[in-house]
Amino acid sequence: MEHSVHITDCALVTGLGVGVDHVWSQLLAGKTAIRDVERFSTKNYITNLAATVPDLRAAAAGQSRLYPLLEMLLAQLAEVPAQARLITATTKGAIDLLEMQCRQPDSAGKVPEQVQLGTVPSWVAHKLRLQDCGINVNAACTSSTLAIARGAALIAHGGAEVVVVVCADLVSEFVFSGFSALQALAVEASRPFDCQRSGLTLGEGAAALVLMSAEAAQRYGCKKLAQVRGWGAANDANHITAPARDGCGLIQTIKQAVAQAQIELDDVAAISAHGTGTIYNDMMEITAFRAVFGERQLPLSSIKGALGHTLGAAGGIEAVLALKSLDTGIVPPTCGLLSPEQLIAKQVSSDKQTFCGDMLLSTNSGFGGVNAALVLQRGEQC
Amino acid sequence: MLSADICGFGWVSVDGLGAGLSATNSCPFGEFRRGELPPVQRKDVLSRPDRSFGRMDQFSRLGLAGIALALRDAGLETWQDKRNIGVLAATVTGCMYTDVDYFKTVLEGQGLFASPQLFAYTLPNTFLGEAALRFGLTGNCQVLNSGINGDESHALAVVRTAMESIAWGENEKVIVGYCDLGDQGALHAPGALFMVLQPSTVAQADSVAALKLAVDEQGRLRSNDRTICSLQDLIKHLACTSSSA
Repeated sequence: MEHSVHITDCALVTGLGVGVDHVWSQLLAGKTAIRDVERFSTKNYITNLAATVPDLRAAAAGQSRLYPLLEMLLAQLAEVPAQARLITATTKGAIDLLEMQCRQPDSAGKVPEQVQLGTVPSWVAHKLRLQDCGINVNAACTSSTLAIARGAALIAHGGAEVVVVVCADLVSEFVFSGFSALQALAVEASRPFDCQRSGLTLGEGAAALVLMSAEAAQRYGCKKLAQVRGWGAANDANHITAPARDGCGLIQTIKQAVAQAQIELDDVAAISAHGTGTIYNDMMEITAFRAVFGERQLPLSSIKGALGHTLGAAGGIEAVLALKSLDTGIVPPTCGLLSPEQLIAKQVSSDKQTFCGDMLLSTNSGFGGVNAALVLQRGEQC
Repeated sequence: MLSADICGFGWVSVDGLGAGLSATNSCPFGEFRRGELPPVQRKDVLSRPDRSFGRMDQFSRLGLAGIALALRDAGLETWQDKRNIGVLAATVTGCMYTDVDYFKTVLEGQGLFASPQLFAYTLPNTFLGEAALRFGLTGNCQVLNSGINGDESHALAVVRTAMESIAWGENEKVIVGYCDLGDQGALHAPGALFMVLQPSTVAQADSVAALKLAVDEQGRLRSNDRTICSLQDLIKHLACTSSSA
C-alpha cells in the first residue's frame, strides 16, 4: 500500500440514541434498544420487536424517515473537505416512500424516483457540500463494510486523500414483513451466539466515518482515531439466502484482510462479529473463526442483541463502535446472551470484556453469499 | 497506468441477446434502444436444467443472463474449482419493480401472505449471488448505484472501479456491467451489458482480447488509443473493435 488509511471522524445514530459516546456508554451498561414497533401494525408478523430510533419521524407527511436520520448523523461530523470522495451504503434507502406509493389506490406499480438508491449519495453530497456526487454500495448486510473497504483502497492506492462513508437503513414494514415471512425473526429479542437463539431482531441506524491518508490528516489537523489496516471480501458461491456451513467465504475474507494488514493472526486481539442471532449465521461464524484462529480464546462480541440488525448500516455502526473498543480495550456485552454456544463459551459474554492488543477484526456476512472484513488498529486516544 | 483487457462480453437488449459477436446471437450487437425486453429463457442462459431459474424475478434473470453470456464469451462458462472472480453491477432502478410486486403481497393480506420467495429478490445484489453459485465466483460481488449528476462519463466509474480491483490484486478477474429493467439506467434502455475484465498481462486467444482498456494520466478512459467519454462510446467501440479483430 502506498498510503496508510486513518479514521479521523465518526458519527452514530442507533436505537440507543445519538452520538458515539452516548451509544457506547449505553451499550456498556447493558441497555437494549429493542422495543415494540409502533410505526406499523405487527399483528400478523411473528414478533412485534425491533430496535427503532426513538422519535424518528419524517419531516412532513409523504416524506421519508431516512433523511431526518441522516440529518441527525451528519450534524455530528466536523466539516468534511469539499474534495472528499463519497461512498454511501444502504440496502433499501427511502423504502418507506415505496410503501406509501403502493398504499395509494391508483399506484399502478409506479415507483417514486426518490426510492432509487442513487438519490442517497446525491442527497448526502449536497448536504456535505461535496464536489463528488458519490456512489452507493449495495451488498446486503456487508454493504457498509465494503464501502469502508473501497474507501480505504482508494486512499491506500492514491486514488483519493479523503473519503467519507455514510451508511443507513430503516426499520420498515417492507423489510420487517419479509424477514417475518422467511421465519428469520426471533419472537423475543435476538440472542446472538446463545444456544437458544432463534433468529434476528431488526434495527435501524446510521453511521459515518471520515477516512484520510496520514498526509491529509496532518494537513487538516485531524486526530487519527484508528487505522484501517486491512480489508477483504469474498463470496461463498453457495446459496442466495443461507451462509455456507463450512464458512468458506468468511474464512477467505478474514485471511485476505489479515494478509493485507501485513500482520500475524496472533496480532488480532478481539472480534466484532456479525452475530445476527440466526442459527445458521452464528454457527457459520463460529466455524470460520475456529478455522482461522484455532483454539485461541479471542474476546468476541455481537451488538445486535442491543441495537438489532441494521442491515446495510450494520458494518458501519460496528466499525464506529470498534474505535471505542480499541480506544478503551473493551468489547461490549453481547446482549441477550444467557447460555453461550459451547465452542465459544469463553469468548462471548453478556458483560463487557477487556482485551490487550491493538488490532480488532470486524466481520459481516449476508444474502447473496457475501462476506466482508476489516482489520482496525488502535489510533490516537479518542 | 491502470489497464485491463476485455476478454468477453454478454448482453440482453430489446432486440435479443448474445455473447460477444458470435454468429449464433439472436441479433447483432451494437445498440440498446427503448422497448420491451424479450423474455429471458433458461436455455438461452444456462446449459443445464435449473429449477431455480423459473422462480427468479425478472431483474435477476436479466442480470444473470448478461453475466452468463459474458462468461461464455470469455470461455469461462464451465468450471471445476471456485474462482476469484468478482462482479460489479451498476443499476439505477435495480429490483424496484420486484419491490412493488413483493409489497403488494404484504398489502393484500395485511402481512399474512407476504411472499418469502419474492422478498429474497428485493435486494439488488441477489442475482450476483445466483451468478456466484452457478459459476463458482468467490470474488467481491456488489451492486453500485451512482449518485445522480447528469454527467454521462459518470456511468464509466464502475468500469474504472473494476480495473482498480484487478490492478490492486483484489480479484483475478472482474465481471463488470449494467443492468436495468427500465430506461432510466446508464444504458438509457432496458437491458444488460456485462464484460469480463482481466489483467492486460494475461494471454488471450480469442478475438475480443483486442479490446484493451486503460486510464491515462489525465484520468481519461481509453481503449486502443481512442478516448471513451461515455458508456455509449464504449458500446460503439466494443462493436467496432471486436468486429475488426
